[in-house]
Amino acid sequence: MSAGGESSRERILARVARAAASRGRLSHPGALATPAADPVAGFVKCFTSSGGEVVKADRGRPANEWLTDFLQALEPGVVGVAVGPEVPAGLRPRLPDVAAAHAGAGISVAWGAVSESGSLILPSTGTRAVQLLPPVHVVWVPEGRVFARMEDALRELLDGLPAAVGLHSGPSKSADIGRTVVTGVHGPGRCMVVFI
Amino acid sequence: MVRDYAARSREIIRDEPGVREAVTGATIAFDEKRRKGYAEVDADAWRRWAEGVKNHTLTHLDHYLTEAEARLQANGAQVHWAADAAEAREIVIGLATRRAVASVVKGKSMVTEEIDLNPALEEAGIEVIETDLGEYVLQLLEEPPSHILGPALHKSLRQVQDLFAERLNTAPDGDPDTLARAAREVLRNAFIDADMGITGANFLVAETGTVALIENEGNIRLTTSLPRVHVAVVGIEKLLPRMTDLAGFLQLTARAATGQPIGCFVSLIQGPAAEPGDDGPEEVHVVLVDNGRTDVLAHEHAWEALRCVRCGACLNACPVYRQTGGHAYGHVYSGPIGSVLDPGLLGLHDAMPLPFASSLCGACEDACPVRIPIPELLLEWRKEAQDEGLTPWKERAALAGLASVATRPGLYRLAGRIGSRLGARGAGRALPMLGEWARDRALPKPSPRTFRQLWRKGIE
Repeated sequence: MSAGGESSRERILARVARAAASRGRLSHPGALATPAADPVAGFVKCFTSSGGEVVKADRGRPANEWLTDFLQALEPGVVGVAVGPEVPAGLRPRLPDVAAAHAGAGISVAWGAVSESGSLILPSTGTRAVQLLPPVHVVWVPEGRVFARMEDALRELLDGLPAAVGLHSGPSKSADIGRTVVTGVHGPGRCMVVFI
Repeated sequence: MVRDYAARSREIIRDEPGVREAVTGATIAFDEKRRKGYAEVDADAWRRWAEGVKNHTLTHLDHYLTEAEARLQANGAQVHWAADAAEAREIVIGLATRRAVASVVKGKSMVTEEIDLNPALEEAGIEVIETDLGEYVLQLLEEPPSHILGPALHKSLRQVQDLFAERLNTAPDGDPDTLARAAREVLRNAFIDADMGITGANFLVAETGTVALIENEGNIRLTTSLPRVHVAVVGIEKLLPRMTDLAGFLQLTARAATGQPIGCFVSLIQGPAAEPGDDGPEEVHVVLVDNGRTDVLAHEHAWEALRCVRCGACLNACPVYRQTGGHAYGHVYSGPIGSVLDPGLLGLHDAMPLPFASSLCGACEDACPVRIPIPELLLEWRKEAQDEGLTPWKERAALAGLASVATRPGLYRLAGRIGSRLGARGAGRALPMLGEWARDRALPKPSPRTFRQLWRKGIE
């Protein structure tokens, strides 16, 4: 750090301390109590109302076979996929692996989900390009990992926090042009959850 | 320039009627969504809680800034401190030069507008591409954003159709979907080619060193993930103590801004990619910017404005902002929050007459998720302006005249009689403060007798 940076640091901190001391230090109000509802039902309601999709897998078949057929039946049908390293063999579709920038779908497993905000929690170790570049993102979510409240999820995430975490709560959208909502602006235009 | 506020407002209303139409429509829609978003939760309790957390943080800011710095460094990120805009620009350009950066992608950020970062990068020979769809439109038009959340909401679909037809070869009547797809194509390549991503931050969590960013498009996720260097420019007031605080603020900010339970995408960034499988940036830099914030923090009243989370709810609720949009205000922070923040950041002298650009209706305070008493702060700034002799001399003379008339019964009686003879229009024209107000208004005819005369005869 440059000498100038160092002195700016000291100057800023000294000014902040002076202002705080003159005002008196105010106490923290404690936790915000938000009500906890049924996690999975709450998640589905919130996630789908933001444009996310929840898909039911055919549990009578192996998951990877079902997913393969499901992806091929999409419009347009998926040819190549990008799969995160966290996805176990049994959940990987039987389709050719391609670079995320060219894949028809990205496949991830969520670390967890949050009911009150309808959010998927996606650590950076799941490869960010897979979560962001393909037009369709299919996310396996372990049903027991749906937290009622964001606070509970973030508190548990503190242990072993990765370099980055993405919270995805629906498809990419924008209303910047003519106040009309369009999806798939930069990130995936379809975000689909399958519970496991 | 802020001081051109009155002239610029008149120009916009007279010469660009489409702006008023677009801004009013968009802000009313945003405001309705905000009301719905608040109604779904115990918004009063959330807002009181958020006010308390921010007040605690701002009065312990020295502690939380050093905690955040230590955490970020432990996570492998680098922390820089900038006393003012020039130093912040110098730091970012220094980083770009050291890493031989040729092109930068940016996520929407008010603080980088505040420090004039884009022109400085371009001057240093670096290509800058704004990636938020609205910001991208404005970059092509070489205009600054006019709203915190919808930077281009003053533009009509027709204007974007014409712009994209000319610049991106889209059909002249392309629908929003087609236009967005054309922009996506250009910007997708920009993300892949860029050497550096620059963002602001909605929050910086001291406990974990987490830079938190809320958005709907996914461009910020890409900006912070694909380039090899990520620089977050962060105002020092953005601190939050703990991740559990962030949980509340992520949701409250989204509800205040768009009524959503949360933004479609939230990025929580602790540092550079470190683990196998992570394809994120090699370097993460956090530039902590003062640029007038410690002056605001030291101000007896204005410090409360530093609770602001930049949701835009006060702009959406403001009947004055709706008439002109943000450009009239002449500074990056416009609308009600700009009118109380800018005098602190720029100095009251340079921010005149913004504290007067309000009807004091109080809608902004009711909408604010952190309960900033904006009307009260506006009055404090007005009082200071009066005390420092910054208001127009005619106005000061008029107020002094009013005070001397109102405290002398004989003079007051005489003035009342003259006023009732002149009629309101005549009196308005003759009096310095009312002249401008009376010019464009049809005024009621005053009673031929004064209140005192009526009182003496007995009011029927």
